[in-house]
Amino acid sequence: MEKNVILSARDIEVKFKVRSRVLTAIRDVSLDLYENEVLAIVGESGSGKSVFTKTFTGMLEENGSVSNGEIWFEGEDLLKIKNDAGWERIRGKKIATIFQDPMTSLNPVRTIGYQISEVIMKHQGKSKEEAKKIAIDLMERVGIVDAAKRFDEYPFMYSGGMRQRIVIAIALACRPKILICDEPTTALDVTIQAQIIELIKELSKEYGFTTVYITHDLGVVANVADKVAVMYAGQIVEYGTVEEIFYEPKHPYTWALLSSLPQLGIKGEDLYAITGTPPSLYDKVKGDAFAPRNPYAMKIDFEQEPPFFQITATHRAKTWLLDPRAPKAEPPKAIRNLHERLSSMVGEGGTYRG
Amino acid sequence: MADELKKGQEPFYTDDQFLQVKNMVVTYTNGKKKFEAIHNISFDVHKGETFALVGESGSGKTTIGRAIIRILPLASGEVWFKGRKISGKIGKELDKFVIRNMQMVFQDPAASLNERATIDYIVSEGLYNFHLYKDEQDRHDKVVKALTDVGLLEEHITRYPHEFSGGQRQRIGVARAMIMEPELLIADEPISALDVSIRAQVLNLLKGLQRDHGLTIIFIAHDLSVVRYVSDRIAVIHYGQIVELADTNELFKNPLHPYTKSLLSAVPMPDPAIEKHKKLIVYNEAVHDYSVDKPSFRQIKPGHMIWANDKEFAEYMKQEID
Amino acid sequence: MSETVSTAVENPVETPEDENLFVFVPLEAQASEHIAAPNYSYWRSVFRRFFSNKVAIAMLIISGFIIVMSIVQPMFSGYDPSSTPHINEFETHFNWPNATYWFGTDKVGNSLWDVVWAGTRNSLLIAFVATAITTVLGVVVGAFWGYSKKADVVLLEVYNVIYNIPYTLFVMVMMYILGRGIGTLIFTLSCTSWLGTAYFIRVQVMIIRDREYNLASRCLGTSTWNIIKHNVLPFLVSVIVTTVSRDLPSFISYEVFLSYLGIGLTQKTASLGRMIQDYAQYMQSSWYLFWIPVTISALISVSLYIVGQTMADASDPKTHMI
Repeated sequence: MEKNVILSARDIEVKFKVRSRVLTAIRDVSLDLYENEVLAIVGESGSGKSVFTKTFTGMLEENGSVSNGEIWFEGEDLLKIKNDAGWERIRGKKIATIFQDPMTSLNPVRTIGYQISEVIMKHQGKSKEEAKKIAIDLMERVGIVDAAKRFDEYPFMYSGGMRQRIVIAIALACRPKILICDEPTTALDVTIQAQIIELIKELSKEYGFTTVYITHDLGVVANVADKVAVMYAGQIVEYGTVEEIFYEPKHPYTWALLSSLPQLGIKGEDLYAITGTPPSLYDKVKGDAFAPRNPYAMKIDFEQEPPFFQITATHRAKTWLLDPRAPKAEPPKAIRNLHERLSSMVGEGGTYRG
Repeated sequence: MADELKKGQEPFYTDDQFLQVKNMVVTYTNGKKKFEAIHNISFDVHKGETFALVGESGSGKTTIGRAIIRILPLASGEVWFKGRKISGKIGKELDKFVIRNMQMVFQDPAASLNERATIDYIVSEGLYNFHLYKDEQDRHDKVVKALTDVGLLEEHITRYPHEFSGGQRQRIGVARAMIMEPELLIADEPISALDVSIRAQVLNLLKGLQRDHGLTIIFIAHDLSVVRYVSDRIAVIHYGQIVELADTNELFKNPLHPYTKSLLSAVPMPDPAIEKHKKLIVYNEAVHDYSVDKPSFRQIKPGHMIWANDKEFAEYMKQEID
Repeated sequence: MSETVSTAVENPVETPEDENLFVFVPLEAQASEHIAAPNYSYWRSVFRRFFSNKVAIAMLIISGFIIVMSIVQPMFSGYDPSSTPHINEFETHFNWPNATYWFGTDKVGNSLWDVVWAGTRNSLLIAFVATAITTVLGVVVGAFWGYSKKADVVLLEVYNVIYNIPYTLFVMVMMYILGRGIGTLIFTLSCTSWLGTAYFIRVQVMIIRDREYNLASRCLGTSTWNIIKHNVLPFLVSVIVTTVSRDLPSFISYEVFLSYLGIGLTQKTASLGRMIQDYAQYMQSSWYLFWIPVTISALISVSLYIVGQTMADASDPKTHMI
């Protein structure tokens, strides 16, 4: 079934001016977002995953700028928008973002009800009473019990999980086409995290929006994603369906991420660990950025940046290992039969049994 | 066991009684209001094992760690370490004993190091306090060894914390603790603030230290998958109460308490086929009716303890037999 | 060699030697621990930040000039407030600024240039000494006050009482009682102002006190004094510079104000305040007599304040880190 491309980013490059130096946070990234699908962008700090999605809503920090590329959405290049007024049409209305920390996403001196209604009144032009009705409805939809009563409460009276639900409600108040979730559950307990992820899934089916998940948690990715983009040092190094990425990964960084998961650790043996730290993006990177930490590195990785190699119609990876001249390389033992190993660890209903 | 040691008497303890927490209660006072964070918990830590305290935010797991190492006072109850009572008011000698034998690694690599001090000072701090070195050269050698043991380089001693990455900072914290050669290390969420690929580095490091030094570790965490890999026994904590305590394998194979079950259900598995078909178990506190039938901490089989009242206990016993 | 069919999407590598490039390279674990950036030095960063601010440099020059002039000039001018050699030479009175008398002459024929610098010297002397006493006492007391919960109870009460006494009124009454003069003025200005600084420091210390790196120091057995010295004080540099940059101009203003009222310095001591009071009446006629002292006192206050504030910002470690 052919899916529509709802947003297409091409050759994006983002630079930041830090004092007198220039940091190239995103180095040539191209990505297509398919309608009603969930895309997960996986990466660690410094990979650029948050920065990349900020370009969709014009929310880069003051010292950042998109120095190259185009983002096509609904027939226009978003990067041609030059001022805040132009972004008002898109931000919150067509593309909404929810962030990691619900504490700082909400205004502590306004009631919850006010904050939701305000967005509805502004973007949908409703009156105060109409907005209140819609808001309470939304609050119930995201799972707030006694919504009518809690409408007049302040953020500090809500728990972390509930605040994040309100943040979701506010983001969805204007029925955006795309919802970007930037590590929405990292600051929450694991039981609340599971509930929030379920909620976003249900809402995306009901409201019909496309979701972009930014996370470093591969468990969350396995749960929510249809497509996965793995980012490292400002580039996408592997992209594919979630099954392809988990069961047949091809890039050594993806192998390393999967192998280092404690679920795959064998008691008594060391966990697979990646040595060192990501490269500094102040200097131009020669060759493959992952080479210094890559146990499968070849001489050419230090000389020339690898191109993308297409593996299937949906799966591509940026590594010289896929070049026909490269020697055969097997992924680490820990992940070779990932599905079998993990299946043996779970009981009924997918509960972890170890 | 005698509460007071007679003069010259050596403290007596078995390996199973390496650290003992007895009826610990910890309260926080906010002005006039008193909040009981830990309600009467008891557990033993065996020598040489890794004992995990698992709970979510607000469970009190960090509070327990800090009360053991004497950063926080107990409202009531006792902590015994190597046969000596170390909680409450203790003399200087005993205080020194605790510091020399018990150390802590903290959660936040950004906040747990003094930004205005060099790595040299930070790692040497414990040595300076008790003059644990012969001369300047000896001290320098000890610092270099502590750093290289955690995988850092000698050249790092003149640097400042902000020049390092999170994983490296956490390793500096471990070096600072290990240079004291403690027998017990309390690791308070040591990897929660680190990137996923760096966590393995620090976990391997801790396991290696345990192997090489015969270290006993209390591992405080909220991530059950990490805990399964690293620990021998696990205590599950919910709002200041231990609800279940068992060997790691036993806890994962036969979880009994509904909270434990919900925690296990919530752990995300990195496998799409499994995750997408998962049925989530949600914990509802209302399943417990403690109004008349009061709960207590009881043993359901050797090594497996559970917080339950009579009625629930009977049900768990039935599940066991089935 | 058969033609290689590449599945690459973009430019494939084609030259013949490339076969050799497809060989594995062993991983060097240590190399990635190395820090490439040059060593960080706190004070070098402070001064680099300070001197990158052009306004601050200008203010530094101005205040430097005024301070140097006020020290050096009176040494050579031979000015004595009690001696009036030209009192009977009417043509030397009220001369406007000219080539011989750069600031003109006053009502008794003395060169205003001499008088102004002598007065400035006294103002600065009083301000610097009072600031020094206030700051040293305030920091020492404030650091302990903030760190020790027991001291807090007592000192907070003392502070609440003393703070409610209006400072200006208090200073005026004290000067009436003790009499005018440089010594009494210094004593009066500093005798309660140190408490304000102490309170400010206390608040800063309380913010830092429970951070994890201080808990870590406690676990390592570091004494309270050493914690204050190594963990707390280095972070207070910025805060201390802020209070100093606030106190100096404030004390200068108090001296001017009190002398204006006639309860500051005696007739025998040169004083900017008295000059301003004396010459206010000439605002319409020989207005240079009024405006020159006013300008000098304003200039020194503002320039010291700006230098201080810029220094405070530069010495905050957070601004050095990327």
